[in-house]
Amino acid sequence: MSGTNGALREFTRRSALTALGAGIVGLTAASWPRLTGTDIPGRGDNSLSIAIMGTAADAAARQKVIDAFAKVHPEIKVKVQAIQAVDWKDFFTKILTMVAAGTPPDVVYVATEGAQLFAEKLAHPLDEYLRRDADHMKEYFADVHPSLVEAFMYKGSLFQLPIDWNAANMYYNTTALRQAGLDRPADDWTHTDFRATLAAMKKANPKDFTPYYWTNRLFGGVVPWLYANDTSFLKETKSGGGEWLWDGFYPNDPSRGLRSGGYQWLEPNADDPRVFESFDYLRGLVKDGLGVRPEEGGGSSLIGLFASNRIGTTPAGGYWVQGLHEAGMTEDGFDVQFFPKWRSQRHQFGTAGYAIMKTAKDKDAAWEWVKFSSSLEAMRIVFPTPNTTPARRSMVNEQLYAGTGPRHWKVFYDTLDRFPTTGPIPAPPQQAAVETALMKNVSLAVSGDERQLKDALNSMQRDLELALRRQP
Amino acid sequence: MSTTTSAPARTGRQAVRKSPHDAKRGRVQQRWLPWAFLAPTIAGMGIFTLLPIVASIALAFFRWDIISAPTFVGFDNFAEVVQDPTVRVSFLNTIVFVVVAVALQLGLALGLAIMVQEKLPAWLRVFFRSAFFFPLILSAASVSIFMRYLFNEQFGVVNWLLSIVGIPAVPWLTTPGGSAAVVILVYVWQNFGFSFLLFIGGLASIPVETYEAASIDGATGWRKHWYVTLPLLSPTTLVASVMAIINALQVFDQPYVLTRGGPGDSTRTAVMVIFESAFQRLEFGQASAIGVILTLIIMGITALQFRLSKRFVFYQ
Repeated sequence: MSGTNGALREFTRRSALTALGAGIVGLTAASWPRLTGTDIPGRGDNSLSIAIMGTAADAAARQKVIDAFAKVHPEIKVKVQAIQAVDWKDFFTKILTMVAAGTPPDVVYVATEGAQLFAEKLAHPLDEYLRRDADHMKEYFADVHPSLVEAFMYKGSLFQLPIDWNAANMYYNTTALRQAGLDRPADDWTHTDFRATLAAMKKANPKDFTPYYWTNRLFGGVVPWLYANDTSFLKETKSGGGEWLWDGFYPNDPSRGLRSGGYQWLEPNADDPRVFESFDYLRGLVKDGLGVRPEEGGGSSLIGLFASNRIGTTPAGGYWVQGLHEAGMTEDGFDVQFFPKWRSQRHQFGTAGYAIMKTAKDKDAAWEWVKFSSSLEAMRIVFPTPNTTPARRSMVNEQLYAGTGPRHWKVFYDTLDRFPTTGPIPAPPQQAAVETALMKNVSLAVSGDERQLKDALNSMQRDLELALRRQP
Repeated sequence: MSTTTSAPARTGRQAVRKSPHDAKRGRVQQRWLPWAFLAPTIAGMGIFTLLPIVASIALAFFRWDIISAPTFVGFDNFAEVVQDPTVRVSFLNTIVFVVVAVALQLGLALGLAIMVQEKLPAWLRVFFRSAFFFPLILSAASVSIFMRYLFNEQFGVVNWLLSIVGIPAVPWLTTPGGSAAVVILVYVWQNFGFSFLLFIGGLASIPVETYEAASIDGATGWRKHWYVTLPLLSPTTLVASVMAIINALQVFDQPYVLTRGGPGDSTRTAVMVIFESAFQRLEFGQASAIGVILTLIIMGITALQFRLSKRFVFYQ
């Protein structure tokens, strides 16, 4: 009997082990696409893979554009891969990781922050395609301001077509302004007018009200103040070349003489007296309780605070409109004005568009996607609400802002027309290191005495030298 | 007296005479089966631990930005790292952080463990063990995001509570002292639960008779803990401190999310500099060099701890 039990036990254990082994093999086979990553959109087939910064919901939202594209190019299969990231820097890091892993996407949606990094190392220039399809593309360039295009020029070549953009304009809370007994600021208000406005707002509003709120980042932080004071923390120069583009698409533009082969930021400039002056102005706002010490991060909590009338003013772009609307602000509850004037009224802007990767499997197909995405049809599908400023002038109209405001929505595109020297975010190929060097010293610079400000700017200069020490 | 010449009754599997083939198979199984079971773990360790370590050490001697081919630069990366003031400050910050955070973590964990173990009824002990361990299972990044809202100067709950008792708003995250304090506070809050559980285990293993003997000898209150609990808990303290120090030397999530290392470099840690060098500046060689230096420091401190432990660890 015992022998029988033993045999039974042996048989059962073997069976169990066999079943377990078979189960493991079966599971491994079933999950093979996941293990090898072939279930990632665009991998393992000939689809054109497009990487955007966003969530799966954002990728799904692009489906309408993909459907429209499929009607024009049924032979090109497109898959959008949404990559979640805290900010653009984080997004670029993830793209670089994909490059290192040998699985780069074919096309990437890149903002100004990464434009030169991609142009220098990863992206394929669009020049040949633009020359080839010049007749088709003339309509696009006629509708897009050359400043935006110039931001994507690098050493004489164009790497991206601007799809959306935002300038750092000044939002203000109309309720807070009215309580202070003030009217809408003038178009050419100055930094001293701005300070007086903040002081009046502070006086007329509750104790927990913040007249000026700003965040510590490359866009909308200290840089717009530096630009308004006709300086920057990096020395800005321009490279030659690019005539083919300007002569071909903007021959009669009034700002033709300003255009170049692209921006260059090769040296630090934190020791410029005007940089000190600009920081000192902000330090004064903090010291007098008119502005907050800038916080790290993207200011995600800001919309709710602004919508609940606890913030008076803040620099932001057109991307803020839809957020304020969704937070319950009426179209008369807020408005927007140009950034205050100092020595100049040059604004800061950022833009974004698709870049074709050098490693793209089918560059011609990628170009067709880029070209289609810049069409009026595609852009109308992508931007049904004012959650950014479309690069096409014709789309920034009454209809887009109907029901959401602001009343002076024209300020958004007028920024480029009225101030043609308005420039992009200073973002050399070493942008991530440059941004870190800026951010880490801003809080210190504006939070203490004059001595601390000088130390912080010296530290920034040193950090920027390190960041820029290896020029491409 | 009779002898039995017949073979003993054969029972079960032992009774089955093994053929030479079976015997050989048995020897092969005996030799290789343990390795077969260990193989997945060894492969995992090799691929995901050893290989990256070796690759990282090798990479420290190259300049590499992911995109271009690596260039051999010898000890240049180490030289640049040593001269970089940000790296120096970050290592100093890390050392200060380790000293303060580990002292607070172990002190808090030990104090609470003694309190919970001694003073509370059984059901409350279970509750506090869970409650103190709970923060550890939360994502450090999520906790830090939440804490950033709590400690916001203008709109945070902490300053609102302080304002109720008339204390003006404290710029927690925008001044060097404030941000360092918040980073340490958040880190200790999230991590002391692990040390707490170790101490609870250690306390439970101390024989009651030892305390009774101490009581008979006249020891009461803190003297009992000083002369009985702490010496008998010393092996646990050694393990807890080694683990706490190694973890604290690798702190990243809390300062990265709460302050991004600022203001200035005041909360920048060694691992943050590794991350920034690699993934923001694309200087993977330098990042590896910093990693190698940090690893040597961790190994040095741990070895020192074990060496010194001979003097203060009391094994029963």
